[in-house]
Amino acid sequence: MVTKSEEDQLNRLEAQVDNAGGGAWEYLCLVRKLKVRRPDKVLKHGLAILNDSKKRSALGTEEWTLCEQVAVAAMDCQSLDVAKDCIKVLRKRFPDSKRVGRLEGMLLEAKGLWAEAEKAYSSFLEDNPFDQVIHKRRVALAKAQGNITTAIECLNKYLDTFMADHDAWRELAEIYISLQMYKQAAFCYEELILSQPTNPLHHLAYADVLYTIGGLENLQAAKKYYASTINLTGGKNRRALFGVCLCTSAIGQLSKGRNKEDKDSPELQLLAVAALEKDYKQRAPGKLPLLTSALKSLRVSS
Amino acid sequence: MDKFRDCGDIKKDLRYLYTVQFWVFLVSRNANRGERKSRERERGAMAEDLVLDTAIRDWVLIPLSVVMVLIGVLRYFVSKLMRSAQIPDAKLVKEGQVIVRARNLRAAANFIPPKSFRARRLYYSNEENGLLYVPKGQAPNAQAQMFSDPNMAMDMMKKNLSMIIPQTLTFAWVNFFFSGFVAAKIPFPLTQRFRAMLQNGIDLSTVDVSYVSSRSWYFLNLFGLRGLFSIILGEENATDDTQRMMQMTGFGFDPTKPGC
Repeated sequence: MVTKSEEDQLNRLEAQVDNAGGGAWEYLCLVRKLKVRRPDKVLKHGLAILNDSKKRSALGTEEWTLCEQVAVAAMDCQSLDVAKDCIKVLRKRFPDSKRVGRLEGMLLEAKGLWAEAEKAYSSFLEDNPFDQVIHKRRVALAKAQGNITTAIECLNKYLDTFMADHDAWRELAEIYISLQMYKQAAFCYEELILSQPTNPLHHLAYADVLYTIGGLENLQAAKKYYASTINLTGGKNRRALFGVCLCTSAIGQLSKGRNKEDKDSPELQLLAVAALEKDYKQRAPGKLPLLTSALKSLRVSS
Repeated sequence: MDKFRDCGDIKKDLRYLYTVQFWVFLVSRNANRGERKSRERERGAMAEDLVLDTAIRDWVLIPLSVVMVLIGVLRYFVSKLMRSAQIPDAKLVKEGQVIVRARNLRAAANFIPPKSFRARRLYYSNEENGLLYVPKGQAPNAQAQMFSDPNMAMDMMKKNLSMIIPQTLTFAWVNFFFSGFVAAKIPFPLTQRFRAMLQNGIDLSTVDVSYVSSRSWYFLNLFGLRGLFSIILGEENATDDTQRMMQMTGFGFDPTKPGC
């Protein structure tokens, strides 16, 4: 996860580099470290450094890492010739490298030659069945072909061995949500919450899934998770505030017929509504009437 | 599973140990003073403070430290070169990951609904096919496994050799070249018990125990340069002998028996 300070630094460097103020190398290093996806900028500035022979020799051994980074960015921007050139240069320098082989597989993927890419990846996996990145590339390959069920299969097999990889769990959860398999997605989000309990995004996503599945128990749990998200973000997450209001009104609707023994106090909803109104007044006062009418309709039905 | 000693217990033990040592030190110091005073009265005042030549500092202490640092760096690079590319065992990798996942479950159990927690707990500790379930007595003894697996045994041998040989050679070198004179003065007073350990080459029994030979400087460096190595070589370096020595004594660990 990228922290706020790192995000600020990245934006500052980006602005500086865009206005031709130098510092391109620091920007590229930061992008590489934070693993953010900025293919167009990386391609432009990386290529500028690589084509300038003076700057290139100033890098020394870092030149090859930059080459790899530019190759991946080029594939992302679909400039396959640039990518092919970079990979050729890397292959000349490191003839037996698995890392370069992986790049070549990615190039095959980018060109759309699925069968060859699949063959390349399988041969890598035969040599080293524990290469996590190659496993993930196979999943990406299946996903790019539109073969979601194969992707799920591969990912499940991967997670069978490497079950502590939270990125993989997140990917699986998103795939399940795209297929509307909400119960399985809820399981994946539970894994994520277990591995990173202080990350509010996981709580929020889990609450969303629970709310979508519906049912009284799930709605109550969803309300708790929205509340914990609000707790973890210090009340700044508007989506969680909305979630609390929606959950309370949905619970009220479901339990209209029953007696109000275990009805939670309406305090939580009132607090959330107050926080939302204050936020909107501060940031988008023009939309405030919309908000109040929407919330009023929620409260009426509860 | 593990029974960790409470922090309070350790502190209590340390406090007790330090008090005992302090008293021993006081008593022996007084005894020394008495003895010394009596000797002085016999032979007249004796110069207690030896003046050590600065040449000792230049030609003994500093070169010895430099040599030990260089040998440590050399060992680090040699161990890097000799390390064979380890093909991870499938079972070990999976077990490692299962343990991480189960540890997360234990740590963050309050954050998920009780039903899902119970389901996961059953998944791990189920008697028939639980991932972490180990029937009593069947746990592989770590030491037996260590010797039966030939790869692991070779690795252990290599690591031990790379530790023992440089230590032995350096010790022999120090003893051969740097013995028979006083090398340094320890800034705090010590009891007579340490004389045998610290003053091996000095055959005078009347010299204050604070004046030590170069062997003690070697040992000081051996244990003290660990911190320096972790700064200049990064965290994982093969020169962490003391850690490995501690590891060697900790076998015979059966995870199924409670209270290990």
